[in-house]
Formats: sequence, structure tokens, C-alpha cells
Amino acid sequence: MSGSPKIQWARLAALKPLPRAALSAAAAPAAAREASPPASGDSLARLLGGERVGNHYGEFLRVQRWFSEPAEFTPVPRALEILAPGAPPAAADPSQWMFLDTETTGLAGGTGTYAFLVGMAWWESGGLRVEQLFMRDFDQEHSLLLELAGRLADRRVLVTFNGKTFDWPLLETRFRMTRQIEPRLPVAHLDLLHPARQVWRMRLGSVRLAELEREVLGFDRGPDLWSQMIPQLYFDYLRGGEEAAPPLADVFRHNQMDLRGLATLAARMMDLCAHPERTEADPLDLYGISRLLRNRGDRTRARQLYERSLEAGLPTALDRAARRELAALAKRDGDLPRAVDLWQQLSAGAGAGGASASEPEDLFALEALEQLALYYERRVRQPERAAGLAREALAALRVGARTTHPPGMRATRLAERLEKRLRRLERPKGGSPGRPGIPCPQNCLPGHEKTRYGAVWQARTGDK
Amino acid sequence: MTQTLAVHPARLPETARLSAPIRAILDDLAARDAAGEVLTAVRHIPAREAQWAAMPGWVRPALAAAYAAKGISQLYTHQAEAAERTRAGRNAVVVTPTASGKTLCYNLPVLNAVLENSDTRALYLFPTKALAQDQLAELHDLCHRLEDRFGVFTYDGDTPADARRAIRERGHIVLTNPDMLHTGILPHHTRWTRLFQNLKYIVLDELHTYRGVFGSHLCNVLRRLRRVARFYGSDPQFVCCSATIANPGELAGRLTEKEVEVVEQNGAPSGEKFFVLYNPPVVNRNLGIRRSYIHETSRLAHEFLSRGAQTIVFANSRLHTEILLTYLRRKHPQAPATPDTICGYRGGYLPNERRAIERGLREGRIRGVVATNALELGIDVGSLDATVMAGYPGTIASTWQRAGRAGRRSGSSCAVLVASSAPLDQFIARHPDYFFGRSPERAFIQPDNLEILLNHLKCAAFELPIGPNEEFGAVELQDLCARLAEAGYLHSSGGHWHWTQEAYPADTVSLRSVSSDNFVIIDDTAGPEVIGEVDFTSAPTMVHPKAIYIHQGQQYHVERLDFEARKAYVKPVDVDYYTDAIRYTQVHILECAQTEPLGAAAGEAPAAARNHGDVLVRSQVVGFKKIKFFTHENAGAGNLELPENEMHTTAFWLTLERPLVESLPFSVSDRQCGMFGLLHAMETVATLLLMCDRRDLGVSIGDRSPSPGASAAADAAAAGSLAEMASQDLFEPNLYLYDAYPGGIGFSEPLFRVCDVLLEKTRELIAGCACEHGCPSCVGPVGERGERGKQAALAILGRLCE
Repeated sequence: MSGSPKIQWARLAALKPLPRAALSAAAAPAAAREASPPASGDSLARLLGGERVGNHYGEFLRVQRWFSEPAEFTPVPRALEILAPGAPPAAADPSQWMFLDTETTGLAGGTGTYAFLVGMAWWESGGLRVEQLFMRDFDQEHSLLLELAGRLADRRVLVTFNGKTFDWPLLETRFRMTRQIEPRLPVAHLDLLHPARQVWRMRLGSVRLAELEREVLGFDRGPDLWSQMIPQLYFDYLRGGEEAAPPLADVFRHNQMDLRGLATLAARMMDLCAHPERTEADPLDLYGISRLLRNRGDRTRARQLYERSLEAGLPTALDRAARRELAALAKRDGDLPRAVDLWQQLSAGAGAGGASASEPEDLFALEALEQLALYYERRVRQPERAAGLAREALAALRVGARTTHPPGMRATRLAERLEKRLRRLERPKGGSPGRPGIPCPQNCLPGHEKTRYGAVWQARTGDK
Repeated sequence: MTQTLAVHPARLPETARLSAPIRAILDDLAARDAAGEVLTAVRHIPAREAQWAAMPGWVRPALAAAYAAKGISQLYTHQAEAAERTRAGRNAVVVTPTASGKTLCYNLPVLNAVLENSDTRALYLFPTKALAQDQLAELHDLCHRLEDRFGVFTYDGDTPADARRAIRERGHIVLTNPDMLHTGILPHHTRWTRLFQNLKYIVLDELHTYRGVFGSHLCNVLRRLRRVARFYGSDPQFVCCSATIANPGELAGRLTEKEVEVVEQNGAPSGEKFFVLYNPPVVNRNLGIRRSYIHETSRLAHEFLSRGAQTIVFANSRLHTEILLTYLRRKHPQAPATPDTICGYRGGYLPNERRAIERGLREGRIRGVVATNALELGIDVGSLDATVMAGYPGTIASTWQRAGRAGRRSGSSCAVLVASSAPLDQFIARHPDYFFGRSPERAFIQPDNLEILLNHLKCAAFELPIGPNEEFGAVELQDLCARLAEAGYLHSSGGHWHWTQEAYPADTVSLRSVSSDNFVIIDDTAGPEVIGEVDFTSAPTMVHPKAIYIHQGQQYHVERLDFEARKAYVKPVDVDYYTDAIRYTQVHILECAQTEPLGAAAGEAPAAARNHGDVLVRSQVVGFKKIKFFTHENAGAGNLELPENEMHTTAFWLTLERPLVESLPFSVSDRQCGMFGLLHAMETVATLLLMCDRRDLGVSIGDRSPSPGASAAADAAAAGSLAEMASQDLFEPNLYLYDAYPGGIGFSEPLFRVCDVLLEKTRELIAGCACEHGCPSCVGPVGERGERGKQAALAILGRLCE
């Protein structure tokens, strides 16, 4: 869609400078206000090409820019369901989207932390329109917030990076402090931090925006300021006025870069979720996306991606985790042949001292044995084979228990389930538990039904 | 209320029906005190009948039914009065003793208002988390009976994060403490919009604890609270409860800065009670030495305990709590592996440990408890049979408060105050009428103390920008804001002062002590285990290296004190001594605010000067003594190198001029003894004049340090010979009485003003004391002061009072 001639023309036109009046009128036709060129001595406004905007609360500084990159994209409903479950259909309307990022006087939160710069961005003419509202002093906060409320009324889908925990609650506090301006709440809020973390944490460790840009989106934002300096730069500007303007201009640029990064990331994630099968990505990323899709309930595509990430080759630990998750999905879909296949791969080498219960991944093997036992008992109806598998898993657990102490909760529960299963499997048909004269199965001592695994283990070693 | 009885309990009137153990014990005590020197007073407080009032007609039937189901169908008169006044929209403070049903005074009107309008919100403030928990149980019970028609929650540091949102929305009554209000609620008031918009009542329980520094902080927190409430359009009224103090109405008025009405006609019943002043027998009359009051306390407690009376023992320090616990446990050995029937209770025990002890006391399983003032507050431990106090608690109010721990609704109870050799104790023991006849202390606060005020001003600016017409305390607000702006904290914009720091100011302001840090005590014999904690100021004296730290009677040797990490590593030991830290204090004058000559006859050079101003107090724990249990012999000492503590505060001081010192007909050492003795007595009198807690004042003697005044004096002596110059280093002392709180708490200027009275009363105290050469009651024990210390002190006073 972005290739249509109409949009291409708009993109070209947008690159040409527009008369200021036209610009502001186009940007917010509803609100009545006037925009003026910077006053003499207003070096920050001049540095940034900003303008003073006023409303009935007073004035503030606005900086507007248009970037051809990232290019506009159209939200895909299928992808939206994954990124923002429960969002209304209106969320797919690109004209409703607003990217938001604030710069604040601190990270502590509370009523004394201000958002002195509110950066917004949306698609316009095929590119990204960035609009930054800045309070040159605290008395401009109300007018800034009124403008922001207008923008929020026009565009009802918020897209942020960590905005659910930081930016939005902070703005809500600021609005509440005015006691007069009540913003319309967004119909949907896409906070990309959490899905991004699910997808890329395995590869990158931390997922800061600048890092995602470099490692995932493939561009380097170049020199940028250290974000911890931002509050002090603003305080210096408040006190030092004009002389502190140049350093503060860097904060505007930083905010612009954050917004552009955010929009690029949104496009990237939207694409990943809409057409995961087209993705040419790192196997780790593929695995990350499969987990995101699985968590959002898109089992079909999740399975496809799991298969692809396994084909592409994952590190051992992740490979086993992926197989286990895939097997569970296959089982839920009723694709038992694939599930059995995966369980057999996972359990290969388990038992006979091959696996210990020390690591969660090692437990995967034994849990796979349990699943196989279940399969042979219920589906194939081979109780002897099922019992053999359960015994194999229990034996491996006991080897593990000797080397690691104490066994974890998962190992303990697994052992309890296996013992229960064995009791049932080894019970003669029509018999009832605990009937006198029936020998206790080798791995099941009477009276130990409810004991913890550790206690069973002690009892067993006592026998020897 | 009290009625004097003959000293000899055998002559008790028939009406005073003692329950058997108490009678037997008092008989025994009297029998051993043939000369009548030990039991200096036995007062009988007769039983009181309940005075009833009907449940007010405006109480909702559901609420009345809920109370009736709990067995409350009519009210005590004070409850009805408090409820009526609150209902009428007035602020009230209820002043009645322990266990007189105070909580109903506020619960009834508050719950009724919630039932009438479910938007109504109330905030309850308790000085400690434990008290809030205690109240929660009672309110939950009522809530249950009212079919959960209101939400009541505690909100403190222990509240899980996921429960907080629900509390903010659905809590009709939020129980919290001043510290949480200060750091957790006010700086996030936008999250509490519903509460603040509908805030109708603020309940301050245990009002009397909010005095001194803590009270000064609370007053400022309340200023902030009212400011935020105003922002949301509400103007809450106050309901306060207080133990008996001299000025509950005044304190409530100063704290809330509103008109508060006092309700003090107690309608609750009580059993009869005996109050005994016990002065340990004299063992050396010349030296004024009496038997150890700690021993005597332990002996008395033992008598009560061994005859089945459930007993609480109060000690004035944590150390003495543990020593007394050690003694009592030795006297009451119990089978190993059975739960303790005698326990300690003090700050520094972990919360679970404390809850278990409170429960044990209520259930009667624990027969004896040795506590610090931690049990003085209204924590519900049930009523006990006897209270034994080791030493005068320092104020009349807290003496009555502690005595109130013993007192059954019916039957008899007994409170014994065992006097120590400290001057105040001796004074009270010898003048029982003074004690019984005197009103309890006034509670002071100084909310406009600059240090405290500035801290809260920062917090207030963080919460809401400070406007041009606002008021905050009795200070030039705009002026202070301008100063804070210069320091980079605030910025003025559009007539308002805004907060301009990244930090969150409430986090750096602790309401309770100088530093919010505390030290944890770790026993790492078998893997690290935290056994207790101690606050920053007490750490150097309690857990310095090589100290014996005692916890629940178990001794621990402090192996290492990691001052930076705030950790003390200890190991259990069994030794026959405890340690007492030696603290060294030095005062430097920063700025003398006012100085005036004293004792100057016409045309003569003044003998001395009175002054007050800003000082720097440096103190350091420099060593410790090892003291044997039971004999209290000094069994060795050690030096310590611990960091120095510095504090800016205000002080009142006397300067004794060289001519006066030189003209005294005493040896150099006797003169010095006289000065120390004088200061000792002045401190006693000052605490009485100021009606403050002894811990609020510090004393020190130092050589006069160079000051503008001193250089003027040097000019006058410029014509003097070189010999005189050499004698400059002669002891020319300043006698300091300083406020033991950073920034000062406002005692110095009043002391400067009443200096004449202070000196006159001090002279009366020393001259009127029957001892020969000085005793703990006047100038200090003769062992420390020498034979002529008392005379020297009187000689100095003679010159000053001319």
C-alpha cells in the first residue's frame, strides 16, 4: 500500500518546507490557538526550529519534524491480536496510531516528577511526523497537557516502549494534578517492551531500545546522550536559561530518535507477527517469536516457527526447551505422532544414569518419559511398556537424587506422579490398592503414598 | 482519685480487699521494712463503677446490632461524649487510661458515617505497625458482623504490591502509620484520589507518643496531609486518643493546628489498685549508697511471679531488660525444651517473636515479661496482676501508663516503682506527694524547628507546588522557599515553587531518628542468621566490637562490627559480665545567639555569663567497661575506635569567668568536681522546668573555645603580664545543656530566659539535700565528686545567685 502513487507524491511533497501556518493548521485543526515564531533570545526554539504555541492556559514550545524513515505501514489485524490481545478492531486503523515517549525530571515517580518533554509521532504523508511539546518552565505544563489531551482525543491507539509502567502512569498523574484536564483514555495501548523482551531476550539479554535498533533493526543512532543526564540538563536549563539550551537540544534529538526507533520497531514486530513464515531470522529470534505466538494462542503458526527454529539449530539447552514446548503444542492439536517423536528425542539417553534431575533441562527427558508412559497406557494400551517407561524415569530420578540434594519441587512432584501411575499400572485387573496378599511392587513401598520423594529415596537406600 | 493510706499495709482499710497474693506480698514487704524507709508510699486507688450512657439514637440499627452482638449495648460516658462531638463535626481528643474502650470512641462515629454514605473515607494513624495490626483484628470482626459493607485495610511497608491498588480504591478505612503516610501515600496522592476526595476523618491514636522530635515531624506530615486534602476539596476532622498527659488538648491542637475539644471524664470501670514507691534499702549511709535497684526489681518481680501473679517488669534500657531477664530466668529455672514462661520484649526483637509473646501474655501461658517502653503503648496483651518498674521512667505520664498495664476490671492489682539512685528517682521516692500530686508532663513539639521544617517543606513541594499565598507553619514561607531554590531544590515559576531534583525527598527524611539506617545483628555460628536489629544511634553503644550483646537472655560476643555495611557479627557465649560503653562528648560553639553577664555586683567584672546559640556536638564511643553480673564490679576495660558522630544543635551554656574560678577557696580538682556536680544538678532541674524527657537533653563541660566574646576579653587583659597569658590554659569552663536532636528542639532559648530560676532551684536542690558530701540526688555520688564537690558547687552557685 505504501507504494501507491498517491502516497509517493505525498512523501515527496512533505520533504519540501511548508509555510508554518499551514503546518500547524494541518496538524491540529480542532484546537483554537495561535503559533508564533520564536521570540528573540529564545535560543532553544531557534536551535530546533520550534515555535511558541498558545492556548487559554498559556503557551509552550512545539517542535515539528517529518522523517521519510521509517515508512508508513498498515497494522495487520492478525498481528495486532498478538501484540495487543483484546484491542478493538479500531486499533487497526493506522490514522489512530500515536507513538509516545516522554522525557522526565526523574525516574522515581510520584507527584513531584514532571514530564517536561512529550514526544508524539504518527504517520503522515507516508513518513513519520514527529511533534514534541516542551514546557520551558513549570507554568507551561497545563497548556502542554491541554495540547496533549487534544492529540490523545484524535489518535486513540497508543504505542510505547515501557509506557504501561512508566510514561502513561506518569502522564495520568500529571493530568490529575491539573484537576481540570481529563484526557480521553486510549482504546488500546501497545507497549512493545514486553513482546520485544519475549522475542529478543534470549539473543540479546537486555532489551533497551537503542540496543534493539542496533542488533535487530540494523541501524546505529550514532552519538546519543546518556539518558541519566536528562533531568539535570533540564534543571540546568531552568536555571541557566539560554546558555543551557544547546545541551538540552540533544534531549530533543534523543527523544526524536526514540520515537523513530519505536516506530521502526513497531513495523518490524508487526511484520514478524503478521507473516512469521516469511521471516529470515536468527534461529534464536525464531524461537522467541514462536514463544510469543504460543503465549498468545496462535498454535498453528507457533508450531511452524518452532519447527523452523529447530531446523535452523538452537543451542542444546534451548533446543530441548523448544522440543518440549512444541511437543506440548502438538499434543494439544492431537498430532500425537509428532509429539511422540519429540518425546522420544527428548528422552533418548535418559535413565541408566544418562540423565540426572539436577537441571530443569534434564528433567525434560524424564517428563518426556512420563508423557510417553501416558501415551502407551491410554492410546496404545500397552500397560507393560508404560510401566517400564515410568520405572525407567523413576530410576533416573533416584540417581539424580543421590547427586543433588534436596530434590526440587518439580522433581518431587514428578516422582509422586510416576509412583501413582506405577501403582495403577502394576495393580492386577479388578484388584484394589492395599489388598492383603498382593506383593508391593518393587518401587512402591506401602505407606509412602504421601511422603515426599526424598523420604521415599531414604527408605529405598535403607533397603540396600 | 488517689487516696493516701497508712504506709503499713496491715492497717489497710477493710474496703481495700486485696486478692490473696498481692496482699501477702505487700504484707511481707511491710514486715521487712520496720523503719518505713523502703516503702515510702503505698497508695490505694479504689475500684470504680462503670458510668453508662445509652447508645446514641443516630447510630444505624445495623451498627448497633453489630456492637450488641459483641456484648456492647450501652456506652461508657466518655465513649458517648466523644462519639457525639465527632458526630457534630468537632475535633476531639479522648484522654482516658489503658483498657477503657478508647477505640470505640472513633470506630462508632466513623463506621456510622461509612454506613450512611459509602463514599466516606477515614485514615487511622498509629505510631507503630503492630498497633495497626492489633486494631485491624477488631475492625475485621465488626466488618464481618456488618456483612462486609465496608473495606478496612492496613497499608504499610508489609502490604503486598498487588493488594495496594485494591486498598486505594476500596478501603473505607485505611490503617497506617506516620512513616508510611510520609513516604508511601502523600508523595503518590494522585493514586489515592478517591480517599482524599472523600476523606472525612483522621484518627490519631496514642497521641501522647507524638511529642518531641517525633511529634514535630508528625505535625509537619499533618500539614502536608491537610494541604493535599484541600487540593482534593476535603477538610477532614480529627479524632485523637491519648494517655494521660498534662496538656492533651494543647498537644492535639498544636499537632492538628485546629481547635480540639477534650473528653476526659472516664466512664470505664476498674478494679482497685495499689501503687507502691519502693526505695531500695541503704547499705552505706555516709556514701548515700543503696542496694542495686536492678537487684531489688528482680527480687520483687520474683515474689510476684512465685506467688502466681502475672507480672510485667519495665526497664529503662534494652541492656537492663536483658539483665533483668537473665536474673529472673535463673530464679525460675524451667525444664529444658519447654516454652519459656518468662520472656523479654523490646525493640530489636523480630516482629514474629513479638507477636508470639503478646499472644502468650493474653493467653496467660507467659507468666512474666521484661519489657522496655515498647510495651507501654496500647498493644493488647490483656491485663496483668502486677507491674514492677526498675527506675523512674523519666516522666509521670509514662509511669502511670506503665502502671496501667497491671489492672484487672475486677480484683486487685499492684504497681511498684523501684527507685534507682538517679537524682530524679530519689527525689520522687522521698517526696511521694510531689509525685502523686503533680500533673503529668506537658508534651512539647517544635514543628518549626528549621531542620525538620525544611525537610517537610521539600516533601510538600514535591507533592504540590507551593503557591504564593500558602502557609506552612509559623515561618516566612516564601523566604524559605527562596533559600531552598538557591540550594537547587526548588524553582520558582508562575508564582509557584516546584521541586527540581531527581530524588524523592521523603526517602531521605526519617521521622524517628537521625538516620534511617539500622544495624542487623548476625549470628553466623551455624550459617548467617539475623537475630535482631539496632538503630543507628544505639549501635556504637550496643554492638561495638567485644561488646556483650544480650538477646532473650542469651549472651552474644560481638566479634566484628562492619560499620559501613551496618552489620554486627556475633557468637553466643556464656560469661559472667556485661559491657557498658564509654561515650566521649565534645561541644564546639558555632554561633552565640545571645550572651548576658551573670552575678555582677555594681562596678565589678561579671563572674559568669549565660549564653545560648548554635553548637556542634561531637560524640564518640571510645571504650567500654566490663561489669560483673550481681556484684557490678568493674572487671576490666577496653579501647575502641569507632567513627565520630557529629550533630548541629542548639545549646544553653554557662561560662564561668576565670576570676570566679580562681577565687574559689578549693583545690583545682575540687573546683572541677564542683562544676561537674553543678551541671549534674542543673540537668535534673532543667528537665523538671522544661518538663521534658531526660533523653532530650545532653550535658557536657568544655573549656571555653575561642569566640568573639573571648577575643574581647583578651583585649581587656592586653595590659596584663606574660604570666597572666600563660595562665590562659587554666580551666575556664563552659557548662553546656544541649538539645539532643539535630537542629535543636527549642529548649535552649527558654533555659536562657529562665536562667535565674534554674540557678535558684538548683541551689535549693543541692542545699536541701540531706547528704553530707553529695549523693546521686544532688551533685552526684560522692565517689565521683570527691569530698568537697558539693561545697564547691554551692560556692559557685553562691556567687552566681548574688
